[in-house]
Amino acid sequence: MLLAALPALLPAGLLIASNQMLVAALFASAYSLLSGRAGMLSFGHAAYFGIGAFATVHAMNAVGGAGLLPTPLMPLIGAAAGLAVGIVAGWFATQRSGTTFAMITLAIAELLHALAPQLKSLFGGESGISAMRMPAWGLDFGSTTQVYYLTLCWVLLSLALLYFHGLTPAGRLTLALRENGHRLRFLGYNVHGLGVSAFAISAMFSGLAGGLQALSNEAANYAVFDAGVSASVVLNSYIGGVGSFFGPALGAALMSFFGYAVSDITQSWMLYQGVLFVGVMMFAPAGVSGLLGSGSRLFAQRGWKLALPVTLLAVCAALLLSAGGVFIVEMLQRLCSQDYRAMAQAAAKLPTIALFGRAWSPGSVLTWALPVALLVLGAVLALAARRRLGANA
Amino acid sequence: MDAFVFSLLNGLVYGLLLFMVSAGLTLVFGMMGVLNFAHASFYMLGAYFSFALQGLLGFGPAVVVATLLSGLVGVIVERFFLRRVHAHGHAHELLLTFGLSFIIAEAIKLFFGNFPVDYRIPASLDFTAFRIGAQSYPAYRVLMAVVALAMFGALYLLLTRTRIGIIVRAAIHKPRMAQALGHNVQLVFMGVFGVGAALAGLAGAVAGAFYTTNPNMALEVGVMVFVVVVVGGLGSLGGAMLASLLIGVVTSLAVSVDRSLADLLGFVGAQAWAENIGGLMTLKVSSLAATLPFMLMLLILLVRPRGLMGEKN
Repeated sequence: MLLAALPALLPAGLLIASNQMLVAALFASAYSLLSGRAGMLSFGHAAYFGIGAFATVHAMNAVGGAGLLPTPLMPLIGAAAGLAVGIVAGWFATQRSGTTFAMITLAIAELLHALAPQLKSLFGGESGISAMRMPAWGLDFGSTTQVYYLTLCWVLLSLALLYFHGLTPAGRLTLALRENGHRLRFLGYNVHGLGVSAFAISAMFSGLAGGLQALSNEAANYAVFDAGVSASVVLNSYIGGVGSFFGPALGAALMSFFGYAVSDITQSWMLYQGVLFVGVMMFAPAGVSGLLGSGSRLFAQRGWKLALPVTLLAVCAALLLSAGGVFIVEMLQRLCSQDYRAMAQAAAKLPTIALFGRAWSPGSVLTWALPVALLVLGAVLALAARRRLGANA
Repeated sequence: MDAFVFSLLNGLVYGLLLFMVSAGLTLVFGMMGVLNFAHASFYMLGAYFSFALQGLLGFGPAVVVATLLSGLVGVIVERFFLRRVHAHGHAHELLLTFGLSFIIAEAIKLFFGNFPVDYRIPASLDFTAFRIGAQSYPAYRVLMAVVALAMFGALYLLLTRTRIGIIVRAAIHKPRMAQALGHNVQLVFMGVFGVGAALAGLAGAVAGAFYTTNPNMALEVGVMVFVVVVVGGLGSLGGAMLASLLIGVVTSLAVSVDRSLADLLGFVGAQAWAENIGGLMTLKVSSLAATLPFMLMLLILLVRPRGLMGEKN
């Protein structure tokens, strides 16, 4: 409901951001079909995303610019390309499992990334390829709103299909593949075939997401094969939590929203993302969705009298810890920037740094004591929350 | 001919460098069964530590201290991060090291900026070792090769000839049995992890001065090192050596090959047909040099999945 009403509520810039959120959410869901449901860690999913994007751009340019299919159906081309490449790559990669599988996916993606700028006719070299959205079905697809609704329809349909896949026998078997591949083989199932099917379906929806992005950007560049794209889908999915169906989509939407909101203010967004990921991996392996789940279970089982203080403590601890961390990182970032170094060399004593609407002197104790105090207080609160929980268990 | 000898030598030196980084990775994999994504980050850390300390200590001591610091970071990673998530399984450990490599790269960008830093070989080491024909060969490359070979020799002797080596190999082979016999396997794990990280740091400190030192160097070398470890056989030191040299030489020689697949097909009379296809067919081998290691890896995984010298499947 809310998603459908967004175009009326948001300015155009934010609408483009929500479009990207949708694409990222679909990509993360497709990724976690493979990594979460089938238990195969892929570090090269940018390959299928990029293939989908390029296939869609080529299809848009086909037939003298008229397009191979009407514009609303164009992402299907991306999906088909992702599926085709996914079957081939999956056949290779699923020969092995575990770590070797992860390395093969990484190698395939790096292979494409190294090859793409060389193949000018296919990937347009360094500058990439652009295309135009053609009017179709009485809509001109000129405005962001129409593109947003198109993306929304495709993403909702794909998410429904991905959810449905989990209910089919094939989806249940994929889950079994994660739990115990040997036993599955013993029961007479074709384990390699199952692996390839999970890989190919995941690649297909990744290609669809790539196609949607190409459709909204009207262009594709070999940067979509970048290792950073593969990395961010891994981070997003696990921050959201691959254990539940909506976790990865939630994580991707949250992360790309914050990325959009914060990227103007700070240069260290990627660092925060990395720290958040490692924090989730170490303290909350089920991700944000897992935290929400256990939080609501806590309320249901123990009643709000116990659960409310613990939750409040935990939230305060998280806020304090992140405030302290952000303070230190931003301070360091300004302290180490080139402008500041040049200024410090010119001036006799260290110039002050403006941060959060106040000037801080890098030499004074207060500047560093404040974030450290925030961190210590946060850690104490976190321990207190844990102890309360433990005492009443 | 001169050019051929030189690119062969360059390839060998690059291969030895790859070996310095992959030695620690393959040992840690053999021991803990987890491929450490952050391993190449120690290589980068070594280069940056050495760069930062160079002005303070001079080149030689800076390299030594950088090696020790990288090893220390490795010990911290093992003790406070990896060990905590060990219970959650290998996939979790792999993801954690992935996140750590991300953080290390971003932290480097925070402190040193997102561009190459001016880390160079000192003038005292910047001279010509020997000449073949008209071309001269830099002594620093020879030095890098000597460092790598000395390291391989020391590591080999340590593992095969000393009591510590026996315990380490036992802990790698049968950790539970070694533990039952009263050895502190956790300590061995931490030690091997630290030594592996220190070796990668040493490689970075030595090589960073010769090649470029930038925040992407971990990713560039890291991917290549994974290829080395998979091609050589996971957990095999000799295999890592062989694969490093193979990949170093192949990439170095390929850069100077000015032929394409279409030329090759010309031998069977299909050159015109291949040139019509274009794309991959007409690309020069030299421009494909960066992709050759990955192709080699896919080939190895298909025909010999356990790697060149790997023991088990």
